[in-house]
Amino acid sequence: MTIAINVVQVLMLVLMAPLVRGVIARIKARIQNRRGASVLRPYSDLAKLFHKEDLVPPSASFVFRLAPVVMFAVTVVAAAFIPVLRSSALLGIRGDFFILVYVLALGRFFLLLGAMDGGSSFGGMGASREVLVSTLAETPLLLALMSLAMVAHTASIEKMVLWTTGQDFFELSAVHALAFAAMALVAIAETGRIPVDNPTTHLELTMIHEAMVLEYSGPSLALIEWAGAIKLTVIMALLVGLFLPWGMAATFSLPAVAIALVLWLVKLGGMALALALVESSVAKLRMYLVPDFLGVASALAILAVVFTALMR
Amino acid sequence: MILVFVLLIPLAAAFLVLSCRRPSTVVRAALTAGALELIFIGGAAWSIHAKGVLQAGRYLRADGLTSFFLINLGLISALVLVYSAGYMRHVPEGRFSSLRWFYGLVFLFLFTMVAVYLSANLGMMWIFVEATTLASALLVGFYNTEGSVEAGWKYLIVCTVGIAFALFGTIVFYLAAVKSGVNPESALDWSSLMSAAPGLAGRRELLKLAFVFVAIGYGTKIGFVPMHSWLPDAHAEAPSPISAMLSAVLLNCAMYALLRFDAITSHAIGAWFSHTLLLIFGGLSVAVASLLMIVQRDLKRLLAYSSIEHLGIVAIGIGVGGALGVYGALLHTFNHSIAKTLLFFTAGNIRENLGTLRMERIHGMTRSLPWTGGSLLLGALALAGLPPFGLFVSEFMIFMAAFSAAHYFVAFLMLVAISVVFGALLYHFQRMLTGEPEKPSVQTKLQAFEFATIGICAVCLLVLGLHIPATLAALLRGAAAVIQ
Amino acid sequence: MGLFETEAAKALASSAVFLFITVLLMAAAKRISTCIMMFSAQSAVMAMQVLAIARMRHSREAYAIVALVLIVKAAAIPYALFRIVDALKAPRDVSSSTTSAQSIFIAAGLILLSFFAVKPYAGALGVDEAMLAAAVALILTGGFLMVSRKKALMQVVGLLVLDNGIFLAALTTTFGMPLVIEIGVVFDLLMGVFLMGLFAFRIRDTFEHLDVSKLRRLRG
Repeated sequence: MTIAINVVQVLMLVLMAPLVRGVIARIKARIQNRRGASVLRPYSDLAKLFHKEDLVPPSASFVFRLAPVVMFAVTVVAAAFIPVLRSSALLGIRGDFFILVYVLALGRFFLLLGAMDGGSSFGGMGASREVLVSTLAETPLLLALMSLAMVAHTASIEKMVLWTTGQDFFELSAVHALAFAAMALVAIAETGRIPVDNPTTHLELTMIHEAMVLEYSGPSLALIEWAGAIKLTVIMALLVGLFLPWGMAATFSLPAVAIALVLWLVKLGGMALALALVESSVAKLRMYLVPDFLGVASALAILAVVFTALMR
Repeated sequence: MILVFVLLIPLAAAFLVLSCRRPSTVVRAALTAGALELIFIGGAAWSIHAKGVLQAGRYLRADGLTSFFLINLGLISALVLVYSAGYMRHVPEGRFSSLRWFYGLVFLFLFTMVAVYLSANLGMMWIFVEATTLASALLVGFYNTEGSVEAGWKYLIVCTVGIAFALFGTIVFYLAAVKSGVNPESALDWSSLMSAAPGLAGRRELLKLAFVFVAIGYGTKIGFVPMHSWLPDAHAEAPSPISAMLSAVLLNCAMYALLRFDAITSHAIGAWFSHTLLLIFGGLSVAVASLLMIVQRDLKRLLAYSSIEHLGIVAIGIGVGGALGVYGALLHTFNHSIAKTLLFFTAGNIRENLGTLRMERIHGMTRSLPWTGGSLLLGALALAGLPPFGLFVSEFMIFMAAFSAAHYFVAFLMLVAISVVFGALLYHFQRMLTGEPEKPSVQTKLQAFEFATIGICAVCLLVLGLHIPATLAALLRGAAAVIQ
Repeated sequence: MGLFETEAAKALASSAVFLFITVLLMAAAKRISTCIMMFSAQSAVMAMQVLAIARMRHSREAYAIVALVLIVKAAAIPYALFRIVDALKAPRDVSSSTTSAQSIFIAAGLILLSFFAVKPYAGALGVDEAMLAAAVALILTGGFLMVSRKKALMQVVGLLVLDNGIFLAALTTTFGMPLVIEIGVVFDLLMGVFLMGLFAFRIRDTFEHLDVSKLRRLRG
């Protein structure tokens, strides 16, 4: 029964990912006083891309075609670490938050290689910018997750979520507040949203992620887009699970699971709304200010770790 | 009841003056109000002498210390009001910059200082000390030039930060009192704290912490080194009558606040801690100010540093303690205020006639402005602590107290500093008084008012140097008794 | 104790977190308006803390203080500051002598320093260590803002934060001073802000800029 629910969780994250992207885009459109495309638009985009031809630059090697596949596989594996309906995950083992971070880093590594393999100058530029952002984002992410692990006295994400559900909502923990602030900032950097990167820009000089995937087309592009959507959903689900897990099903009964599902959808919707609001109200940072942005995240994460000792 | 009048007359006068239209009515209204206030202060002092302590409601209280400082305030402010009638007659019209705004702000300033003196409650006292900063900031920046705006800003910011520390100290005092069982309702009243002082002895650490913050906070307002950075700027850039008020009365007001706290602390945990702190601040102020006086180029900045030095001497006097030390310190505040008023008024005269206060540009005043030069010489001799002026008497008392209490290092430091000051004053003023004047025989544009006030100051200084009148002696004894 | 009171006590104990976050965000802020909003948020958090205390001790005076803090510190003073910023028509950036990342590291260091500073006193006084540390952190951050920011209005904001810290210290240790004193203190603060705004205008008019680090005519 546990395995069944865990598999359902992974499928949910993978299949709902384009919907999350669509919802965020729709909310942003509404904020900007447009009607916006349907929330199911990303699905039709993916279907369209799967029917198109896969063009490969003549100078590219096998890495170029391998990168999207690895990226997709990696994000599906990452989705297997996140508890959604119950505080259990398909691949939940001790120390899995380390593995999560580096699994995502592996996917990003292959994407970088593929971008540079494509041979265009934009690929190289996007790759170097992406490396800057991800290097600076790794420290706060790991430190924040570590501080949460230290407070919960456990090293797996599912156990951390279980511990948090056992806490009183009113006894806010300074560590959690600081870790949430740090991880929110890192989430924006990792998923390439405003103010770090604009996912819908067509100006090459402002691109980070888009510049890396400029050469891709057809099914490869579909896989990359889907992988990006899954990564966004995974990180949002991680934030929801670590910081707002109350309502998760404790038993296998249908009502509990149904309630958990509804609550999870509401929380995810809330996160999507918050992200859309932030994206609509802040301007994209210039590239040399991104280290500052991530420096703030690092300071918050370091403080979170120090606070685990202070607020005993 | 009389206390209420003393408190409210300046406030009413402020509104009255602001509503007058013509400058002449403004001046007349201001002078009458000042005279009225002086009469009421005198009456209050008389009743305090008769009854010991006056109390009006929960928040107004006056005892010997209050009456002494109130008389000081009344006399100096009367002189300032009279002098400004002549000095400020050419003020340009502008926002907050007219004659009626000047007098209005002066009366508001007076009101806040009277309220500090009459506060029964330490929290009230804090509120009104902060209010004095706010009331005088616009007066400091009155001329709206680059220098005065900068001085006013620095004054406002530095003093508000300092006073915030004093608030923290007051809160810790309150905490110590409440934790020692004093009723929270009256744990900020000075009289109840004094009577409960022996019971506070259990909270030594808290009281020490509190006193440190209070000393830093109110010390910023007094001008102790190293919190003095606002003082030379503010006193130099303000109009001369306001500089006199700031140096002569406001510094005394802040010292009064510190004395109240010192009394409680000494009664609770013994005088060693608070008096040592006062000696440290006093010694630092005296040393640094005397050295900095040598390199000054502007006359009013020189006088401002001299104020820092003299308030340092007062702090040393309180710090060495004993009947003689306290008496000498209080007498010194009185003498210093008169001498400073004289010198700032003289500086005003110089500015009016010669147009500048840079000492290197002024020469031969004995020939161009004989009377003003004479008062400058008189003031310089008084400030340096020479007999037969009053400051000599008070400084000598403090010396004797220091020696008898075996504070030899402090006494030595004071002696050296006073000698340095004497040398600096001599150097600067000799250049100004002798030599060829730049413009021969300047036509003085002075009025009778200005002369009269300077003359009164000079006479007082001489009299105080020779013999302390009985009334003053009685006031001093009453004041000293309060803080013993 | 009823339902709200237990929750009030718990919320009070953990509300120091929000103050730390406002401290950090204020240190990292790049625009004056962000700082003013953080100050308003801080004052609102403190008003909620006084509310929690008022519920726990059933003190009517405390309710009055809640209203006072909310109206003056969380609403009136920020509104006045926003109006001044608009009227001054000056560049809105916080001219800081440290970058955003450095400032937030310094602020984090100050928070840690305040924890170490209150350790010996908190146990003896029987107060919540986090709240007292938050008060000291506010005082230190206010001082840091005043020293490192070069705009005149930022010095005013730093002063207000310092005053908030002192208010919080009073609140934690003595549950507030008598009402009359609190009213007087807040009124003084309001007049102080008004006067500082006036002086900011004068600085802009005489000096053509608002950079207080360039006010160095009077020296020595």
